[in-house]
Amino acid sequence: MNHTVVVVGGNRTPFAKAGGALREASNHDLMTAAIDGLVARYGLAGTRVGEVAGGAVLKHPHDFNLTREAVLSSALAPETPACDLQQACATGLEATMYLANKIALGQLTHGIAAGADSTSDAPITVSGEMQRTLHAASRARSAQARVKAFSRLRPSHLAPLAPRVEEPRTGLSMGEHQAITGTRWGITREEQDDIALASHRNLAAAWDDGFFDDLVTPFLGLAKDAILRPDTTLEALARLRPVFGGEHGTMTAGNSTALSDGAAAVLLADADWAAEQGLPALARVVDAEVAAVDHPGGADLLLAPVAATGRLLARQGLTIGDIDLIEIHEAFASTVAATLKAWEDADHCRSVGLDGPIGAIDRSRLNVTGSSLAVGHPFAATGARIVPTLAKLLHARGPGSRGLISMCAAGGQGLVAILEAV
Amino acid sequence: MSALEMAFTSRVGRKVAARAGLHEPPVLRRGRTYPGGPIVLATLGASRLGADTLALLGRPYEAPVIDSGGDEVPGYGDRIGALVVDATDLNRLSDLEALRAVLRPALRGLEASGSVVILGRPPAGDWEQRAVTRALDGIDRTVGKELRRGATSNLIHVDPEAGPLELASTLEFLLHGRSAFVDGQTWTVAPAVDTPAPSERPLSGRTIVVTGAARGIGAAIARTLARDGASIVAVDVPPAGESLAAVANEIAGTALQLDITAPDAGARIAAHVAGRGEGLYGIVHNAGITRDKLLANTDAQRWASVLEVNLVAQMRINETLLTPGLPGGLIDGGRIVGVASTSGLAGNKGQANYAASKAGVAGLVAAMAPDLAARRITSNAVAPGFIETDMTARIPFVQREIFRRANSLGQGGRPIDVAETIGYLLDPASQGVTGQVVRVCGQNVVGA
Amino acid sequence: MTAATVTLDHVPAMGAAFARAMVPTHRAAARLPEATVELLDQRQDPERLAAYSRVCGFTLKDAVPPTWLHVLTFPLHVHLLGAHDSTVRLVGAVHVSNEMTMHRPVRADERLTIRVHADRLRPHAKGALVDLVGEVSVDGETVWEGISTYLAHGAHTPGLPEALPRLPFSPAEPHGRWRLGPGLGRAYRGVSHDPNPIHTSKVLARAFGFPRPVIHGMWTHAHALATLEARLPASYRVSAGFARPIYLPGTVGFRTEHHDAGTDVIVTTRDGAKPHMIMRVTP
Repeated sequence: MNHTVVVVGGNRTPFAKAGGALREASNHDLMTAAIDGLVARYGLAGTRVGEVAGGAVLKHPHDFNLTREAVLSSALAPETPACDLQQACATGLEATMYLANKIALGQLTHGIAAGADSTSDAPITVSGEMQRTLHAASRARSAQARVKAFSRLRPSHLAPLAPRVEEPRTGLSMGEHQAITGTRWGITREEQDDIALASHRNLAAAWDDGFFDDLVTPFLGLAKDAILRPDTTLEALARLRPVFGGEHGTMTAGNSTALSDGAAAVLLADADWAAEQGLPALARVVDAEVAAVDHPGGADLLLAPVAATGRLLARQGLTIGDIDLIEIHEAFASTVAATLKAWEDADHCRSVGLDGPIGAIDRSRLNVTGSSLAVGHPFAATGARIVPTLAKLLHARGPGSRGLISMCAAGGQGLVAILEAV
Repeated sequence: MSALEMAFTSRVGRKVAARAGLHEPPVLRRGRTYPGGPIVLATLGASRLGADTLALLGRPYEAPVIDSGGDEVPGYGDRIGALVVDATDLNRLSDLEALRAVLRPALRGLEASGSVVILGRPPAGDWEQRAVTRALDGIDRTVGKELRRGATSNLIHVDPEAGPLELASTLEFLLHGRSAFVDGQTWTVAPAVDTPAPSERPLSGRTIVVTGAARGIGAAIARTLARDGASIVAVDVPPAGESLAAVANEIAGTALQLDITAPDAGARIAAHVAGRGEGLYGIVHNAGITRDKLLANTDAQRWASVLEVNLVAQMRINETLLTPGLPGGLIDGGRIVGVASTSGLAGNKGQANYAASKAGVAGLVAAMAPDLAARRITSNAVAPGFIETDMTARIPFVQREIFRRANSLGQGGRPIDVAETIGYLLDPASQGVTGQVVRVCGQNVVGA
Repeated sequence: MTAATVTLDHVPAMGAAFARAMVPTHRAAARLPEATVELLDQRQDPERLAAYSRVCGFTLKDAVPPTWLHVLTFPLHVHLLGAHDSTVRLVGAVHVSNEMTMHRPVRADERLTIRVHADRLRPHAKGALVDLVGEVSVDGETVWEGISTYLAHGAHTPGLPEALPRLPFSPAEPHGRWRLGPGLGRAYRGVSHDPNPIHTSKVLARAFGFPRPVIHGMWTHAHALATLEARLPASYRVSAGFARPIYLPGTVGFRTEHHDAGTDVIVTTRDGAKPHMIMRVTP
């Protein structure tokens, strides 16, 4: 890479549970809000940004050019180009890497990576039969032909379809997949509730410290993350009934992420350009690695980041001990626990092609300002939430501090990135 | 809204009110605009100050009509836009007659929203000279009250060491519509070094922090300073972030979400400014709160929260930003502007905490001024009177209507009036104005 | 005769008043209702605002569009023109122009006091013109003002006929095209609560002399404003002149022109030859 890419900063809306305070906002509204707050923080109003890359996981057909449309509704110059990207739950991080690579190659001086998702406004689609009928009817040249096309419809075809939440090749939902992984790795209910509790406590403390004052801008009257329960306790978490893995399951609404609404954006720039423009630089984008597992063949759906982490550390000549802060996206508390166990497991690491175990970590370096369990997880937004959060934390620790982001994504994929404070 | 307010503001109510003598208030001339009619300069003595300052501003002027003292008042024919009286040479009580003789025709001849500006000297000299100085003050205040249709009168004490360059920004401000709601006031222009001449966009390329900028007066301040060229750092509490972002984006400034009472607030402001690779030219401490209750019912919490936000926080922030060499701190030649209040200067029932904090602001800027002179940093305050905002809208209707009408202009001020006055104090050309409190109150009957 | 302010304790239902407003009266000289009607301290419905934003094409933000505030004043228009002392009726009254001033951004969580009165009845070649003057205030601060000018066909009022001020129009190639679906009138009725059937019913539209349902002028106005949304200042004036109705379903052209006085959005026939609506935003 020829150019040093830095994270200038970020902005996000507060996150809320589906049907909560942001329920009326569409992906477009959310992404526009996240971009506008970022523009205000860094004085970009009316300027042409090199490129904006972003996306949403749950998209309506009219969202086909979501990011560009959000740019046009934002305070940025209308001459700012934009494109949509999608990598499931890792969309925000993938968009970050897409722009970082362009900046590194000298194709851009700066860009904004963004992600938005509204589970309150998830698209409801019609059945395949209904869809085919409608297409046939619109092709029909005569009223008779149209009637004939509709005559094939059965009442069941009229039922709307909610967005599919299961993996197409296994028919299992993500939670069901994780329940299998959890059992396989012997993840206990207590471990999971501990992770959930830490997430809420860390997030609450960060809010109390004003940590998010320059990372979050209120939206539609919501000023703070709405899923956060600062007063939750292990006892309260222990009382929750399992939602995955049957009645003896260990995964509850408390240790699984809630369906959420929100958006986030990151400002990335060439380090020299940022200095010329008088923009701050929090951390350098070092490198990233993507990996996938054969989950239809029985592999753990959400453990793909393990291989990515090992390969990335090896390529950078680093060990996990060289990493000061670790962000593991909390799709489920069980995912975090299984990931950490897999890092320590020599056999598993070798089975995914690594030379040996990644190693154990000091839990006090993990998700230090909370993660998706407490913040929420508007799918595409989460990566763009974590990047500036980690960059700010690393910057506060001082130059050279390193951080690693590990994100699992649907389809048995994982994306991992390293940032280093400047 | 009360039933009374409804009746009063209805169309019928307005008609009844008009018959009762409560006229619709005049619409004031605002903005960077000179009066429509000519400027008249009356020099009472040999002084060149008024003439040279007007020349510096590029404003032509005409000779005054002088009253001979009889029953017939000589008229001006067409209305005049402003009367500038250079009374800096006026030392004897007997000379006050010359002032009367130029004021009398002008009082009738001044256009709507016109201005009377009297230039005098700060109190000094023998007994008679000091009596004359106070007499000018009494005359100015009376003229302010007698003028009709939105015209104003103000008195400037020009230090004998100060020249046209130091005076120019003040005279420009008083002739401009920017001073629409400043009436019956007196303040001082002192000598200063390196004072630039006034310009159209005086704040161009200068970074200024405005606290409480998400709405109301703060948003108006941010917009007005941006209009004058400033790069604005708009500060407000995190929950106001969305409005703050909208204000910042509108003026291509930056938003900084910050609780000013946080111990590190000053450091975070400096870090934000330094992060942008800039030095801080000015800060406007506009953020303020009210927690009104009669003193008999005011507990420690109500007392402390108002003092903390309105006074203690800005003192702490100033101390940090004045640290020499601090990246993002105030540069030499910088500006500090506080926002006091006529309630603070005069006291107001139910506002002991607020009055304490706002009077404290007036004390603070006066105290800082001499200490900061060596770094050419000026510190001043504005003291708004009744300004129409969402905060004042919570005042009960009758009281509000009384406040509105209880000044020489017969109306409440607008946020822009406060903003323009702050812009004047921030102007690099206002280098000679420091330690002053300028009331923006339409000459409210309340207070000094 | 004295007029008073009538304070309504709830948003008037538009059905009955609307029906009354649709009944023509036959009087020699037109008469306006004298009263000012008002609604105090109204909460804005965030869900309806979101739906309104979707139908009109606005991005949902904390600050509401001025056309939304117009929608909130509309029930009072109907109430006034349905009043017993009004001989100017909504029937046959055409919304010919609209002017709004946004004094400052208005947030969706602010409680609004809304006042409307009728004013300036004046003769026109085809009847009489009347202004419905609205004001929205928050805690006594006027934040929005609107003047909706209606032409009451066939109404009589003494004086010399006044022509409507028209923004200049010259035909030009449109910058873009809006396709208005057949359900748009119904969708806009759902968010504006304007029950006028000429916007939704083919039969009734025909009964009132239109070949097809007509989209609400205020939808066209709102959609034109939405095309500028990111470029609108915090306070501004916007005026719109409605030249000819847009039938549903239909396709129209639009173009944007920037000039010293502000920005115009001109909604035209598909070929750009004739204007449907001319809107001007001035800072």
